[in-house]
Amino acid sequence: MVFEQLMGNLIQGLILGGIYGMATMGLSLIFGTLKVVNVGHGQFIMVGAFVTLWMFNSLGASPVLAIPLSFLIGMLLGFLCYYTFVKRLLKGPELASLLATFSVGIILEETVRLIFGSEFRGYDWALGKIKIPFTVLPYTKLIAFSGSILIAVLLFLWFKKTRAGTALRSVVEDSEGARVCGVNVDWQYALSFSLGLGLTVASGVLLTMFIPVGINPNMGGQYTLKAFVIAVLGGLASPYGAFFGGLIFGLIENGSYTLFALLPHVEPFALTRFFSFVILLVILLIRPTGLIATK
Amino acid sequence: MRNKMFSTVFCFIALAGFVFAPSVLAAPPAKILVGEPATISGKHAKAGEQSVNGVVAIVDWVNNTYGGVKIGGKKVPLEYIKYDCESKKESVTSLLERLITVDKVHFTLAPYTSGLTLAGAPVAEKYGMIYLDHGGASNKIFQQGFKYIVQTIGPASNYHRGTLNMIKKTDPNAKTVALVYEDDEFARDVMAGAEAHAKKLGLEVVFQRTYPKGVTDLTPLLSAMKAAKPDFVIGGGHFQDGQLFNRQLADLDINPKALSLIASATLPAFYEALTTNAEGVMGPSHWEYGVKFSADGAKKAGMAWIGPSQDEFVALFKKAVGSDILPDYHAAEAGASILALVMAIEKVDSLDADTVRKALGDLTFMSFYGGWDIDETGLQVGHDMVDVQWQNGERVIVWPEDAKTGNFVYPMPTFAEKAKGVKAVPKK
Repeated sequence: MVFEQLMGNLIQGLILGGIYGMATMGLSLIFGTLKVVNVGHGQFIMVGAFVTLWMFNSLGASPVLAIPLSFLIGMLLGFLCYYTFVKRLLKGPELASLLATFSVGIILEETVRLIFGSEFRGYDWALGKIKIPFTVLPYTKLIAFSGSILIAVLLFLWFKKTRAGTALRSVVEDSEGARVCGVNVDWQYALSFSLGLGLTVASGVLLTMFIPVGINPNMGGQYTLKAFVIAVLGGLASPYGAFFGGLIFGLIENGSYTLFALLPHVEPFALTRFFSFVILLVILLIRPTGLIATK
Repeated sequence: MRNKMFSTVFCFIALAGFVFAPSVLAAPPAKILVGEPATISGKHAKAGEQSVNGVVAIVDWVNNTYGGVKIGGKKVPLEYIKYDCESKKESVTSLLERLITVDKVHFTLAPYTSGLTLAGAPVAEKYGMIYLDHGGASNKIFQQGFKYIVQTIGPASNYHRGTLNMIKKTDPNAKTVALVYEDDEFARDVMAGAEAHAKKLGLEVVFQRTYPKGVTDLTPLLSAMKAAKPDFVIGGGHFQDGQLFNRQLADLDINPKALSLIASATLPAFYEALTTNAEGVMGPSHWEYGVKFSADGAKKAGMAWIGPSQDEFVALFKKAVGSDILPDYHAAEAGASILALVMAIEKVDSLDADTVRKALGDLTFMSFYGGWDIDETGLQVGHDMVDVQWQNGERVIVWPEDAKTGNFVYPMPTFAEKAKGVKAVPKK
């Protein structure tokens, strides 16, 4: 029985971890390129969740269609943020960009609240479910997981195989060197910031496919914390590391529950969080750059 | 000699007049100020908005229909001053200080949620200020020895009492129950009350767990609960986790015969988010539109009546919100706390906190919200809860027997049946 529960939880954890990973890639990409910590990260995820909700409930559109639209909205928001304040704050103290992104997060929260209200909302995209050994999986979760992997692979290919991706990598590695070689560094910064936000907003769609309820303007905060843990776990400046960090985080979070539940007189959920942070600390001590080092 | 005696008596009367003047002879103020560090934004904004508008609706009724609060032979209007605490404990304490020391309010209202209410209680206590609790159900608030806090919402320990009675009455063969609650002050008190009452009814608690605030995935916990095979499940905490709980039960195809979730399940947004997955799901509520409390009912029960009728309250609430939204129990209990205050002030013809607090302790009345009575700690003991079940997309009051508007559907349809469109409809 315990083995079955453990396996079931690991499967669920792997799927959720994949989505968490995807939701963290944008944060890592932005930090890796611009060294800006986007404290409003979770609020951009929330925007994606509301785009999905609006498309599904008002237009009857499939949440899959919300992925490209959310990505586009995220990119536009990214360019807007970059050219209005991020660019000006790049040479300022780190705290300035930290506070600026925090402010943007609050502005997004309140704007969404103004438009949609503070209700906890949801949508019911009923595609059925499949019974596999150890657990039951709704098809929506499988689509979300597949979507996460696909987006991660596409990003990888874009970075490795395209000229634009190579230019961006060169800026990440040595911005001055790239500038000397003729790369428009400012444009690469703008592209990186908007690509990061595009990925983040799109990940909000995938998250709602896993959890299509509880969508509200304040939902972002909980994902910001998780994203930071995952980003540090995988390597704060590495989008791929973030993806694998997400997978590990999901496995730890769900898998350890079953084991902690065997201990008498403890609340396993509380220990699960404790354990996640212990793992984080250990990895930081052993490998401070995260599991996948960038330099 | 005679002059000396006259002077002594005169001085005594003058001194007595000076000492007692503030409470007996002071002219009533132009307005009675009631302040609240209200939960307008942040994670509890949804219920907070309801309670704020509930207060606005009742203040409107007191000032424009009732004519004001009668004190010192005059009718004095109420003024409601509120600041947004953003669902944060640190804001509650500072805003409460501001309301008391800068705005010089006469009385205070606690913000929504037990945690926020508890955060402000020591401040109200420090200033000897009446602190009307309309959204803090945790029993712990009343175990701290606070003198000035007065509850209108029912205590958390009672939340699932009626639910357990109803299930036991409907299905005497039901033997096992799972208790799964959020890990916060309020939900832990609900769980303790439910556990004690379940054992009293001879039920076996086969699974008892909490989950942390802000949880995004309950899958591991629900999988473990499934293995315990409970006949029915009660739990929850607030809005977000309640929806998640129901949704992930559906995802994992876990089918208890009954499911009751506190706070979230009674709201229209719950069904809108979950659609047919919410069919048959229940929730305890302090008040529901449709519950019939009236002046005649109060008379029959030998209780005083104050306030608007249910329909009048709904109309005033809609006016306050500015849209066609029905009030939920958060609005009703917040409004009822103002009615209690009005009755207490009028009873003692005073705004003195100690005098009004004593009057609140002696007060028993009925309003559109139902009965109101507190014990010596300020805990609400005169208000009974109702149980609501989603049936064919509608909220139906199924318990208690004398308040119900429909029959209890038990067992609720399985999630597989719900996916095929089966609704929770009572058998004829």
